[in-house]
Amino acid sequence: MRRTSPLREAGLDAVTLVVLFLLLVPILWVFVASVRPETDITGGGLWPQRLTFVHYEAILAKKPFLIALKNSLIVGIVVAIITTALALPAAYALSRFRFHGRTFFGLLILGTQMLPSLAVLVPLVVIVRQLGLTNTLTALIFTHLALGMPIAVWMLKGYIDAIPKELEEAAMIDGCSRVGALTRIVIPLIRPAIIAVGTFAFVLSWGEYLMALALISKADVKTLPLALQGLFDPYSFSWGQVMAGGTIIALPAILLFLIFRKQLVGGLLAGGVKG
Amino acid sequence: MAARQESVTVARAASRPPGRSLLPDRWLPYGMIGPAVFVAFAIAIVPLCYAFWLSLQDWYMLRQPLPKWGGLVNYRALLQDTQLWASFGRTWIWTLGTVFVELLLAMPIALLLNRETGIARTASALILLPWVTPFIVLGFGWRFLLDSDVGPIHSFLHLIGIAGDSSVLNDPVLAFATIIFISGWKGTPFLVIALLAALKSIPDELYEAAEVDGAGAWSRFWHVTVPSIQNTVVTVGLVLGILAFYSFDLPWIMTKGGPQDATTLVGIAMYKAVFLDLRPAYAAAISIVMLVLLFIASMFALRARRID
Repeated sequence: MRRTSPLREAGLDAVTLVVLFLLLVPILWVFVASVRPETDITGGGLWPQRLTFVHYEAILAKKPFLIALKNSLIVGIVVAIITTALALPAAYALSRFRFHGRTFFGLLILGTQMLPSLAVLVPLVVIVRQLGLTNTLTALIFTHLALGMPIAVWMLKGYIDAIPKELEEAAMIDGCSRVGALTRIVIPLIRPAIIAVGTFAFVLSWGEYLMALALISKADVKTLPLALQGLFDPYSFSWGQVMAGGTIIALPAILLFLIFRKQLVGGLLAGGVKG
Repeated sequence: MAARQESVTVARAASRPPGRSLLPDRWLPYGMIGPAVFVAFAIAIVPLCYAFWLSLQDWYMLRQPLPKWGGLVNYRALLQDTQLWASFGRTWIWTLGTVFVELLLAMPIALLLNRETGIARTASALILLPWVTPFIVLGFGWRFLLDSDVGPIHSFLHLIGIAGDSSVLNDPVLAFATIIFISGWKGTPFLVIALLAALKSIPDELYEAAEVDGAGAWSRFWHVTVPSIQNTVVTVGLVLGILAFYSFDLPWIMTKGGPQDATTLVGIAMYKAVFLDLRPAYAAAISIVMLVLLFIASMFALRARRID
């Protein structure tokens, strides 16, 4: 910014750190509680003095949790792959071709981002039930495609727009087909963005709660958010284990988001992502 | 906001003359965009139309396995459902409250982060964590923090006299206020990032000119900063308002709509209508009313922006 004294900046930095700490305390607390012995969580002071990983050991020894971990990985990875595979050609068509209905199709895809899951929950649940797909990962995967696809299309389109089309034309003069030019020229150039949107689709699916709650009730197809809820045994449950489970769900989402932050923030603002 | 820029890009690109080699095959673009459009149709357009059709059926699953034509029966029932109207009222308070908390927290934070120091840059990355952490984790995290036996924030609230012996989540009024605050806290990072983008795009010359004219810090904020960011505030506020209006995860995870319906938003009422009362057609009618109300409210909000 304009002329500012170093002292003033240092003061504002200090305020920034305090504000940041206060905002993140609820999340930090989940991590901290997950590595404290149960007696310290319930009775100890605020500052953690003893470190333990018993909660992680306990939770990873629970079969329902492991099954859910596997299911969430399957759903998330399949969603990431399908989302990317559908979004890439769509983004390419929107960027490179001029065709009837182009604006309409583009806005239709973007428009689905604005539609909250809750608005289509009832009809989707009824349709899934009539198709006999309740309690299947297939139904969950299909509904999760709506989470990341619009942003994936619009982000990739932005990246493809930035590539000069002369590069592909040169390749095509050299004998490449249109699809060949896409795979040999465009895809390598936008690889970081492709990885970012795939990651993004994975993260959104990984933490998704409402559709999973509505479509899944059987233990062997539950995903992690449902399994975390299942840890609340009304008679005996361990806060430490619940917080360890929460950490296992939160950590991949947080790490992947921080890694791909630069690519994702633009998409976030474009679509008003569902949280 | 960015969505508008996108559509401008679309319009500009559409008016671009077709390049020499740009149309090798008339159908190729349709083939490429087709699958994505199919998903958009299957997940958004078809369900919305189906919801409308469903809302005109008479379908109480305890009595009959299949829907039959009911005309306006659900809408008539809906008009007489005072509990539902109460939850609509609650949802408006919730929505306005959430956006209010977001504005209140995000504005000063964005001004703090709009500086070129390393700490400000790192902080604007880390500030996103509440936004990217799944609701299920935040919900249980906050339940832990507010728990009357083990929760450190409960102890603090108890100390300053806000909470009694039992958790704030057990008191209807306090529970509603608390979850509104948490909802706003979760959405704040999104607004901060949008405000930061708007603040960074204000040219320094505007501030310099204002300074030459003798404007103080407060006057510069009021006459330069505020007009430059007000469009962002309205547009992003609208997006955040829509998200808040359609909240389900947070209140369901934290209180299941209780205590005594105090946190039963329309989304929760709709969910209960399908899964507890087994009345999918009635739930569909609720979702149609939600859409219509939201559409009207958005129109008003956008018009207010145009008058500004």
